[in-house]
Amino acid sequence: MIVFDKAGKRFGNLDAVRDFSLTINDEEILGLLGPNGAGKTTLMLMMATVYRPTSGTITVQGLDVIGQPNDVRRQIGIAFQDPRVDGILGAFDVLNWHLKMTTALSKPEREKRVEDVLKALDLWDARGKRTWLMSGGMKKKVEDAKVLAQRPKIAVFDEPTAFLDVPSRLLVWNMIRELREEGSTVIVATNMMDEAERLSHRVAIMNLGKLVAVGTTEQLKNTQKGGEVLELTVGDGPEVTQDLLNEFSEVSQVRKVENRIMVYLNSGRLLLPKIVETLTGYGFKIDSVHLKEVTLEDVFLSYTGQRLE
Amino acid sequence: MSSSATQVNVSNNVTAPSGALMAPIVQMAIRDISVLFRTPWIIISRSLAFVIQLFVFAALISKLVNVTGLDFFQYYAVGSVVGTIASISFIIGYDIFEEAEEGVLDYLLTLPVSRRQFIIGRALGGAVRAMIYVIPMFVIVAVLENFSNPLSIAGALLDLFLLAFGITGLSITVAVSVRNANRFDVVLALIELAIARASTALYPIAFMPSYVAALAPFSPVSFAADSTRAALIGASLDLVSLAGLVAFVVIFLGLGAAFYFRRVEGGVYA
Repeated sequence: MIVFDKAGKRFGNLDAVRDFSLTINDEEILGLLGPNGAGKTTLMLMMATVYRPTSGTITVQGLDVIGQPNDVRRQIGIAFQDPRVDGILGAFDVLNWHLKMTTALSKPEREKRVEDVLKALDLWDARGKRTWLMSGGMKKKVEDAKVLAQRPKIAVFDEPTAFLDVPSRLLVWNMIRELREEGSTVIVATNMMDEAERLSHRVAIMNLGKLVAVGTTEQLKNTQKGGEVLELTVGDGPEVTQDLLNEFSEVSQVRKVENRIMVYLNSGRLLLPKIVETLTGYGFKIDSVHLKEVTLEDVFLSYTGQRLE
Repeated sequence: MSSSATQVNVSNNVTAPSGALMAPIVQMAIRDISVLFRTPWIIISRSLAFVIQLFVFAALISKLVNVTGLDFFQYYAVGSVVGTIASISFIIGYDIFEEAEEGVLDYLLTLPVSRRQFIIGRALGGAVRAMIYVIPMFVIVAVLENFSNPLSIAGALLDLFLLAFGITGLSITVAVSVRNANRFDVVLALIELAIARASTALYPIAFMPSYVAALAPFSPVSFAADSTRAALIGASLDLVSLAGLVAFVVIFLGLGAAFYFRRVEGGVYA
């Protein structure tokens, strides 16, 4: 179990993480969503004892990250967003050294595990190729392979399938699920909604260093009243504000991203003509209207005001 | 895909061993050393440069220098080895600066290694790497000058190792103290120039300009050069120089560690 209790990290005048409280259960896959700069990486590096929290506490399997950093590090494996590998070494050597540092496996066990993971990720034939000569996707797989081979109690993946093609993405997802089935607790920081939705038991949304929402994807979707979103593509028009549609009690929130207005509401089908009429009355030129059920992306937008691409 | 995820032969999670003190230090050092063996051409080119320096520059200059009681070729040959190991030991600082910029440092700091083990491992790796670089040069000098006393050779190697260990500490200190990449290059180059050139590695103090002669006795490279010559040529121990070298190692490993922790905790590498 990982417990963040009002954890914070300040760099100079910048609060990278603020008052973050969350318990991650054993053998859970937690999806961590947040726009760039939300504090996801800082949070993970605090948990991994690279940064010391400036406020609050973090415990990993009951171990305090400040008081027992070495014991905490023995529990954790992190696959970074940008591959952190020695470019001059080949994939086999990178993984072999990583396992030497992080596991108590014997040499034959270690080499067998490296071989298995490299074969599963279709990297075996390139095992001797220097990683700096590899493509972005191959490098990313080597980075993921470190943790997949390590099989730590706490596995952290930062954007595990960035740069990967679809088959590789599905493969990595399966391997992450297997890791969890073996007893690992998994944190997946991602910008991909489908990745968070497909992999995670729960999703936590961070914005500006704070935890703004957490729950299963269904629970998060249910936080949006009525569970419907009216998406209008508009041309020119006035500034969009919350009180624009104040007259409709069924409207819980209005957001505008680029040329799209998102109206979160109940009974959308009945209100649709009235809302369109009202917005047209305000001077908006409406190009298209789309009524849909709330998606995780809509939830994210609702909490952060931003879209993830 | 050559195989599916379900074909991976998995076993129970095995966490990193606890309690082992030396194993992580050795593994950190091996990582630095293994990088060296991936680029053997660097050792070969440096050795060739050394041979050219010895047989062209040193041979030529020694004919111009005519001082009673001084075999300048021998003096220069031993000093060149010391100067070279000093220069090479600085490389670890560049490595660490680069790792910090590329984020590899974050990865290394997540490994189950205490910070002290990390620093000692990196310094040890840098020092052993430098020793491996200069061993071929040392052998050339030993053969040329007929240094065959095992105790003298062991003493000289100890001097070289202490110098390398201390300079890696100094280099790490600079790498984590200077934030700007260009400034880091300049500062490290100036320090290298000062402690290597203002030293007795290549020239005796008696022939130095006064402003250099005033500094040279305090250079760790002088400690190492004097102590190495005492071991190889005089078959004796230069205890003062040896003590100076040990102090240099202790001070800069300590400083390197202190600055390193402060810098990482300050989040400069975020």
